[in-house]
Amino acid sequence: MGRVKFLCDVERCIDCGGCVVACKEGHHIPVGVNRRRVVTLDSGKETEKSISVACMHCADAPCIAVCPVNCIYERADGVVLVDKKACIGCGYCFMACPFGAPQFPKGAVFGARGAMDKCTFCAGGPEENFSKEEKSLYGQNRIAEGKVPLCSGMCATKALLAGDADVVADVYRERVFQRGSGANAWGWNRAYKKKS
Amino acid sequence: MQRSTHSVLLLGSIMCALLLIAWVGSAFAAAAQGMYSISDYYSDLMGVIGGEWEQVGGLFTYLVGQQYFMWGFLLIISVIPLLFAGHLLIIGAKHFDHGGNQILFFPPLARIIHFIGALSFTLLVISGLLIVCGQFFGGGTFIRLARYVHIFGAILAVPAVLGMLVIWFKDMLPALCDIKWIFMLGGYLSKEIKPVPAKKYNAGQKMWYWCAVFGGLVMLATGFLIWGFGANLDIIRYSAIIHNVLGMVIVAFFLTHCYMSIFAIAGSLQSMKTGYKPEHEVHMLHSLHKYKESDVKPGDHH
Repeated sequence: MGRVKFLCDVERCIDCGGCVVACKEGHHIPVGVNRRRVVTLDSGKETEKSISVACMHCADAPCIAVCPVNCIYERADGVVLVDKKACIGCGYCFMACPFGAPQFPKGAVFGARGAMDKCTFCAGGPEENFSKEEKSLYGQNRIAEGKVPLCSGMCATKALLAGDADVVADVYRERVFQRGSGANAWGWNRAYKKKS
Repeated sequence: MQRSTHSVLLLGSIMCALLLIAWVGSAFAAAAQGMYSISDYYSDLMGVIGGEWEQVGGLFTYLVGQQYFMWGFLLIISVIPLLFAGHLLIIGAKHFDHGGNQILFFPPLARIIHFIGALSFTLLVISGLLIVCGQFFGGGTFIRLARYVHIFGAILAVPAVLGMLVIWFKDMLPALCDIKWIFMLGGYLSKEIKPVPAKKYNAGQKMWYWCAVFGGLVMLATGFLIWGFGANLDIIRYSAIIHNVLGMVIVAFFLTHCYMSIFAIAGSLQSMKTGYKPEHEVHMLHSLHKYKESDVKPGDHH
């Protein structure tokens, strides 16, 4: 297996928010922290598109580069994880991230941020697999169970793809090939053709 | 008459042509606006979720990722003490006669404000350096504690910085004699004790004052944004960069201030506790200072 990858097919995403809810419920994420969110641009216009965004598990991730305590690391399969016990909540990873992925629970001493929380690709954390500690700090470890991440597993329109980068890219390429893209897509004229 | 008709026709046709060009042009512009490609979408999206990453986020990632700030701080806290150790060995501390008249320099309010400032700056410098160099401690509870101490220090620094701004503002305004002082570096490069051009505060103290007060206010403002993420993401990124760079300047001055008060002028730490400086020291290091007779306390010689 190569690297893992998320890919959100913006032609399919319907802004239902299911991925956000699945992630938040499945991992028991505290209030104020959203590992995944859906961003809609041009809401209500013809060009409206939605995309589900979380940690993109970058190669050469900027968060790993800036972390002052080196508590973020990349696994061999490309999943980028944080060691919450070492994290000091300084927020540098949030400033370095192009996707706004790192999240921080509030309410430590003097209103300081707590340890950073972000999408784990449902791969838990540095603690022992399926341990109580891992579950309470990072949520489920579905990768170790051989399952896809919660968000893409439940995506109703199968817009959100997750898995081996090559396989994900193949699925997406076939889709683009079949439907054309944008205005060439099947059904586009019926849905959007302007009646002049 | 015919000529003028021709020229009116010509002018009219040029006007029509210009109008036509403008109309076609605006139609094209409108068409181009209506076209919204998938790459336009992604570029808009990135602006919405990550700010101006390519300009600001990339700069931040480069500066922090290459550990320029950490090595900058480490360089400052290792080179400056070494320089001062060399100064102490080669030139040595300045000793003044502490037996003569005592002159009031720091009334109680100034001493209280200075004490709060000293406490907060010490906490801030130590905890800040621990955070910057957190990787040597592996992060965790210890560095997290340093962050809490850093916030506590910042809360203490608010009254201290504002107080110093009010009580010392007038005395710290630049004067002509400061240029002379800077050129001779306050006489600290020679063992000889002779009058140095300075009023109540010398140019070095003034530099530290403006750095601590206005630099301190900037540090408080940028630190507040970093603490609460209370601004646009790009402003937070700039804040973090400014906080680090200005932090280096303040740490450098802080170390200098500590060296001057603890080592370079023997017994000068005492003056911040009691408020009085010996007459001999004032006449030498603050030779242009005109103090009131009421500020003089007779010393042991009398």
